[in-house]
Amino acid sequence: MALRAAKWGWSRAGWQRLLLVLLWLGHGIWALLGPAPGRHWTNVAGTLSRPSQGLAARWTQWRTQRREAARSFAETRAENQRLAAELSQFRTQAAQEAPRLAEADEAVRLLGLKRQIPLDLKAARVIFSTRPAAFGGLILDRGRDLGLVPDQGVLVPEGIVGRLWSVGPTQAKILPADAPNASVAVMLMRSRATGVLQGQGSGRALIRYISNQEVVQAGEAVLTSGLDRVFPRGLLVGYVAEVAQGDLELRVVVNLSAPLDRISTVLLLPPQPPVEVQPPFVAPEQKPQRKRGVTP
Amino acid sequence: MRIPAPSALRQHLLCAIALGLVFLCAPFPRLQAVVHVALVLALAPRAGSPLGSALWAAAGGWALEGTLRLYPHLGGTAWADMTMVLLAGWMAGRWPLEGFKGWLSRLAGLVVAHTLLAHLAVRLAAGPHAWGPGWFWSLLSLPLWGWAAWRALYAGASPRRG
Repeated sequence: MALRAAKWGWSRAGWQRLLLVLLWLGHGIWALLGPAPGRHWTNVAGTLSRPSQGLAARWTQWRTQRREAARSFAETRAENQRLAAELSQFRTQAAQEAPRLAEADEAVRLLGLKRQIPLDLKAARVIFSTRPAAFGGLILDRGRDLGLVPDQGVLVPEGIVGRLWSVGPTQAKILPADAPNASVAVMLMRSRATGVLQGQGSGRALIRYISNQEVVQAGEAVLTSGLDRVFPRGLLVGYVAEVAQGDLELRVVVNLSAPLDRISTVLLLPPQPPVEVQPPFVAPEQKPQRKRGVTP
Repeated sequence: MRIPAPSALRQHLLCAIALGLVFLCAPFPRLQAVVHVALVLALAPRAGSPLGSALWAAAGGWALEGTLRLYPHLGGTAWADMTMVLLAGWMAGRWPLEGFKGWLSRLAGLVVAHTLLAHLAVRLAAGPHAWGPGWFWSLLSLPLWGWAAWRALYAGASPRRG
């Protein structure tokens, strides 16, 4: 009986055919599944879920980037706050140390001046200033305890300050050079004409006893002459501000170079110093000579 | 002149004997391959009885793969055997045998197709594998087992008639 001669139906032959089809398909599917039957379904599921997996991956990546960005922002913000706190701390520390630094700078400058003047100079601090008052002065923190006596010259690196007016056990009072009752023997740097400096207040002073015959120019330096035995010759006093002809003498107004209102430390000259002192000879530093063809 | 089909009892007995030989020839893979091909392509196909043929072929395939114990996933040879036995049975009904030469020619074509299909199915089921020389021995010994199957199936009918 030919195969195609049989008709499909729920007869015995039909059941046999159904069983045959199931058997053949079952074997085929079983063989097609292979050693790992789940891999086909995994591949199909993977193919179908690829778009959603891509979206999920992008979503996860976006969240990760956002988290990292937020973390970076938070870290940057925390670091900024920390740096701001450190900056504030440094500013406070700098403000606290500013007086000490200024004092150290002043000490360095005084040390330099002390090296230039070969005399036994003593240092003292200004603890109070009464300059705004009439006949006011500067109060030092040292007195007879340091061996100070009246009429000792006082100077700073910018120029002379004045002389000691009175000396107490532990304090001393300075009579500034611009005080009305102060006088300093000075000379003009260019003309070498000598005179007496009398204070006018507010950092200005007047040189007296300069002859009308002298030629004085504004801006000319005024130095100590050493004739008063308070200051040796050659210390800077100030600069000529105005020159006017008088009846018998020139009226020379001088701006004192020492900042009398901003002095914190001063140097004190010994009593009755010599008229003239020679600054110590300082040999210039010799530069190392380079020989030709020799590299250092 | 058409050759009458063998009786179902004789065919089932021969299939049973061949299946037993498949098991017994397990230590000799080349001989087992020849017996297996003979069972699937020569003894099991029967026009009008595809279920029985498929069952014998599936049994032969499972017996071969089970005794070989080489593949990680069995079933490919059984499916190829079922497919080829259904094809052979359909050919037997569509083009009834008329002689021994036609029988051998049909078997040769079926052996080649069975070899290709079996290895394809095994590759799908178990992955890449070595083909082995079984197909070669089956094709080489085709006249021998073809003649034996002809004589066993169609007893009384001399091959000379073809």
